[in-house]
Amino acid sequence: MEPQLSWYLALSAVLFTIGAAGVVVKRNAIAMFMCIELMLNAVNLTFIAFSSFFQDVTGQLFVFIVMTVAAAEAAVGLGIIIAIFRNRESLDVDEASILKM
Amino acid sequence: MSAILFILFAGLAIGCAVAVVAQRNPLYSAISLIGVFVALAAIYVTLAAPFIAAVQVIVYAGAIMVLVIFVIMLLNVDAEEPRRQRLRFLVPIAIGMAAILIAETAFILYSVQASGVKPAGPTSDVGLTHSIGVNLFTAYLLPFEVTSILLLMAIVGAMSLARQGKLLSATARVVPGAQVLAMEMVRPRGKEDLTAVETDTTAEAAHLMGVDFQSNPEERE
Repeated sequence: MEPQLSWYLALSAVLFTIGAAGVVVKRNAIAMFMCIELMLNAVNLTFIAFSSFFQDVTGQLFVFIVMTVAAAEAAVGLGIIIAIFRNRESLDVDEASILKM
Repeated sequence: MSAILFILFAGLAIGCAVAVVAQRNPLYSAISLIGVFVALAAIYVTLAAPFIAAVQVIVYAGAIMVLVIFVIMLLNVDAEEPRRQRLRFLVPIAIGMAAILIAETAFILYSVQASGVKPAGPTSDVGLTHSIGVNLFTAYLLPFEVTSILLLMAIVGAMSLARQGKLLSATARVVPGAQVLAMEMVRPRGKEDLTAVETDTTAEAAHLMGVDFQSNPEERE
């Protein structure tokens, strides 16, 4: 039995949901960052699945660009995390609430 | 055969993804996330995308996760403690809304299933490096160039965020192995005196500039 397109979409939805739940549940800034990477990968899987099933290379080019954005996001995001840690000696996002009313 | 491969790697991906969220130690989360990336790369191979699979392993599992693990070890992050439960009364509402969302998703997946499209076989040239390269440098040249600007911005942003203290003055020269300070910083006589002074140690530079070298770096900023 061949895997159908809906199987890949279901896997992608599950991975995205786990990542989104992780962003909500986690308090550690680095763990939240990794959950965001998980969500990006779930979307990449959708692009690749559609690209393969519709015989069109555009989806794979989008995945390529999404990976570049993820690399840029990793550099800037980890820079922000280091700056937060240097200011507060903690990565708990609940404690970094100086902008909260 | 390919269904067995899909179930194997999909199970691996979902298990590792659950472990990413369930682990309290960020280092274990990071290693589980590498498992997700490798499992997804294997699925990409079965979907006739060998180039993207290779880039997934090299860029994601290689570069990005090494950066993340480097930061985890640099900051010496400890495991987080269990959190006190808040807003418990929202749990039944959340379960109900999740059920509605799952029903909607199942309906969409059922519609996709009914459309009956076939995947590209192993002989397809959709995902080969040649086909991706040709499209990247012809039809999608503008996004490719915009991506380079984005990467430049990321480099500058990461440097300015992660560096300690202020940026060097434009008149200061930097020599490898020794620190160079602008004369203006050492003896502020006039704006026109921008000769560089060379020092060998941080203590010497701190003495010349009249700052307390031993003090906490946060207080200096």
